[in-house]
Amino acid sequence: MKNSDIFMITAKPEEVEIDRNELAHRLGVARTYNDEIIDRCRKRLMNFIGYKCAYIRVPVDLSMKNVCDFGFMRAESKNLYKNLGGCREAFVFAVTAGIAVDRELARLQIISQAEHFVTDAIASAAVDSFCGEAAAEMKKGLRCAPRFSPGYGDLSLTLQAPLLQRLNAFELLGITLGSTYLMTPMKSITAIMGIRE
Amino acid sequence: MKKITELLKEKRIYFDGGTGTVLQGMGLPAGQSPELWNLTDPEKIISLHNMYFDAGANIVKTNTFGVNRDKFENYAELIREGIKCAKMAAQGRKDAYVAFDMGPTGKLLEPLGELKFEDAVSIFADNVRAAAGCGADLILIETMNDSYETKAAVLAAKENSDLPVFVTNVYDAGGKLMTGANPAAMIAMLEGLHVDGLGMNCSLGPDIMLNIIGEFRKYSSIPIIVNPNAGLPEVRNGETVYNIGEDEFSDYMIQLAEQGATILGGCCGTTPNFIRKTIEKTKDLLYELPCEKEFTCVSSYTHAVFVDKDPILIGERINPTGKPKLKEALRTGNLNYILNEGIRQTDAGSHILDVNVGLPEIDETEMMMKCVSALQSVTDLPLQIDSTNFDTLAHAMRIYNGKPLVNSVNGTEESMSHVLPIVQKYGGGLIALTIDEKGIPETAEGRAKIAENIIKRAAEYGIGKKEIIVDPLALTVSSNPESAVVTLEAIRLIRNLGVKTSLGISNISFGLPQRDLITSTFYANALQSGLNCAIMNPFSSAMMSAYHAYRALNMLDKGCVDYINYASANAQAAASPSAAQTEETLHTAIVKGLKEGAVIQTKKLIETVAPLEIINEHIIPALNEIGTAFEQKKAYLPQLLMSADAATAAFEVVKKNIPSEQSDSSKAIVLATVRGDIHDIGKNIVKVLMESYGFTVYDLGRDVPPETIRDCALEHNCKLVGLSALMTTTVPSMAETIKLLNETDRSIKTIVGGAVLNQEYADMIGADYYGADAMDSVRFAERFYNGG
Repeated sequence: MKNSDIFMITAKPEEVEIDRNELAHRLGVARTYNDEIIDRCRKRLMNFIGYKCAYIRVPVDLSMKNVCDFGFMRAESKNLYKNLGGCREAFVFAVTAGIAVDRELARLQIISQAEHFVTDAIASAAVDSFCGEAAAEMKKGLRCAPRFSPGYGDLSLTLQAPLLQRLNAFELLGITLGSTYLMTPMKSITAIMGIRE
Repeated sequence: MKKITELLKEKRIYFDGGTGTVLQGMGLPAGQSPELWNLTDPEKIISLHNMYFDAGANIVKTNTFGVNRDKFENYAELIREGIKCAKMAAQGRKDAYVAFDMGPTGKLLEPLGELKFEDAVSIFADNVRAAAGCGADLILIETMNDSYETKAAVLAAKENSDLPVFVTNVYDAGGKLMTGANPAAMIAMLEGLHVDGLGMNCSLGPDIMLNIIGEFRKYSSIPIIVNPNAGLPEVRNGETVYNIGEDEFSDYMIQLAEQGATILGGCCGTTPNFIRKTIEKTKDLLYELPCEKEFTCVSSYTHAVFVDKDPILIGERINPTGKPKLKEALRTGNLNYILNEGIRQTDAGSHILDVNVGLPEIDETEMMMKCVSALQSVTDLPLQIDSTNFDTLAHAMRIYNGKPLVNSVNGTEESMSHVLPIVQKYGGGLIALTIDEKGIPETAEGRAKIAENIIKRAAEYGIGKKEIIVDPLALTVSSNPESAVVTLEAIRLIRNLGVKTSLGISNISFGLPQRDLITSTFYANALQSGLNCAIMNPFSSAMMSAYHAYRALNMLDKGCVDYINYASANAQAAASPSAAQTEETLHTAIVKGLKEGAVIQTKKLIETVAPLEIINEHIIPALNEIGTAFEQKKAYLPQLLMSADAATAAFEVVKKNIPSEQSDSSKAIVLATVRGDIHDIGKNIVKVLMESYGFTVYDLGRDVPPETIRDCALEHNCKLVGLSALMTTTVPSMAETIKLLNETDRSIKTIVGGAVLNQEYADMIGADYYGADAMDSVRFAERFYNGG
């Protein structure tokens, strides 16, 4: 079913600046740490990244305490309720770095522990950075709450299913959900971003 | 009414267009599945189909796109009613056909996803069986963005119905499916599966499809279908609309028709008017079906490899004959070793990888299926499925993602009667050995005669000459002096039959010193005689040199660019080790994480120092040093891992020098990272250490369920199990595993390790021993088996 209210954002691999703090955190190193292996892995990873984002803008009903009702999904979460306080609408979105990254990581797993670890960290930081850039683009001119994802705090992972379904994520982004609510491609993020008046 | 495949031969026919826009216009709420209307509002569905038939479409797609047993409990009813609606609209019309429409399951197949291949086939099979007898004229498999799921659907259609099968896939602007296949790869696979039409739908407008249609025109021998979207979605007045209108769309369709599209239609955003105008503008254009193409090719899930003037290298290393380490890996189920060989051969420049896992003591079919699936998750090269076991061939070809190369059929009645039907069903390039009941003919003419027989017999199964690659066999020249001469002559004769050729080239030099010299010279001669494919060692410098030189000399390498790159890389590799490594010791190489340096230093040491001494006096202390630095935050995790890589590489060299009899299967351990945990660095270091100490290690990998661990321990009668976990959240999985093992057999002992564990946790979850580090674990295992 093709909904006419789903918007898409894409970016070329080189266009997204990978946040240094995020990367350092995932590598378990200091922010100023430099090593040739990181540059090498980053350069190679760019051949496999395909950034895509799909988002919708929907009303959210907060009339019942600790319940956030988006219509197509209903979240019972104290943390999200607090995060969305005062919002009447929210962006709901999903981003991915694409399935080619998963294959490359599977390959690296076999040949080099170090390269796998480093590439995995870079890929995580990369999709996170793209997520931030996509969020910035969708909210242009609007004041928004910080983005909040299923799995944060008490926001149940089970929401992934209706969220991805509503975004037509399989067709538009190639995202599928596994039995443990883990997404494939691995480097994918879903999020809710409340719009403040 | 004529069969649609017959009508196609006479004139251009048209698919319908998009349904979403039309149905939403009839009141379908956004976000609701349209398929339910088959039951609740069938008259609207019939009306939809009528609108498209009235516009001149020949084929309507049933309103069953998203229906399957996982999404709808009443899937069979929805399918039957959907077909019924379309049949009602078609009634009384001329040249009006009903296509039973199947879309994707929405799940990704293994190994990247969770859906098993046979489960996918089963889901589609249930759909096809529900549709049987309802009067559909053909099956349309559409909007598939994954080659593997496409194959599952096609097999389901072919195994449960005699109806013609059309397939359209979703391509991106770069001309690839989401999981990577290009048109040549899809055409190779789909033609091998005998579909009746193929092409593209959705995602793109006709303008971008124009950039891709050339590929279809070049490679397809069967009708080409294009069902584009009405352009791309665009935001206008706060709404998303498709940006190509009906006039512009139909103008593009003229070009698509002229560029080779056989059947035209539309997808998202198109309406009956789009189809009406397309028909008006294209119905009088010259109409030609695609001609039969003569390519010899095989494919993986990404690309096709064409066998023609440019020599093809088939990496031979995944074959247990003469390879004790590979045999060991097959016996212990060490897939990682096999995958490593696959990746290394890929990096060394192979075009195709041979996969042969024939060992009498293992289940060859099961292992071949595992290897094919695992290899296809780490390399995108096409595979050659190499077995004398017909069962193995059939199972592996079935689950192969693409069009495989099959090794082999020969001229015996038994081989031909078993192998040819399998190739007919699943498709594949076919290596044909010139052996028959009398053996291998001594003359070139004799071998060419067998080739002729096989070609003739294959034709009876609909397998054309273009699929056959004849191997006239290279016998060992030291025991068969005329071997090379006869084989080269055979290649020339067989080329004249109009088929491609292949050789298992390494065999020629068996038993002679400096084998590479003979093999590579023979290879160069064979290429000159017209050889296409060689099953060879891609790590052989002599062979790769012969290959590159041949290409440069025979106008296959423009500007000798490839040759120059190859030669420069070779010169660099020769120069570099001498300079940098002289001051390096093995210890420092490991601490610094220098993998190549570690290998070189180990090779030097092994000449004078005993293997176990190298491990205990050089490698372990170096690992301890970097490990301590890491704990003190003087070194970081990337460095630790690079050191682990270097140590592993050093271990590999040492292991080669530990006589294989020392590997004692009565000293065994099952290793696994428990379910929910995907970290395995520590486990892998323990594994390498254990192997160096002569243990047989059954490595189950990561995220392993308790039952799998128990089953492995029972299967191999192994009394020691090592469990690893790095995350606190997975310690419960460890407890669960230990509980299961204890319930099964109390004589199985468990040792646990991992950054998150300590003695207290280990006691709490019932482990028999806590290994504080890798060496500690090895010492415990040694004591365990020595009765200590």
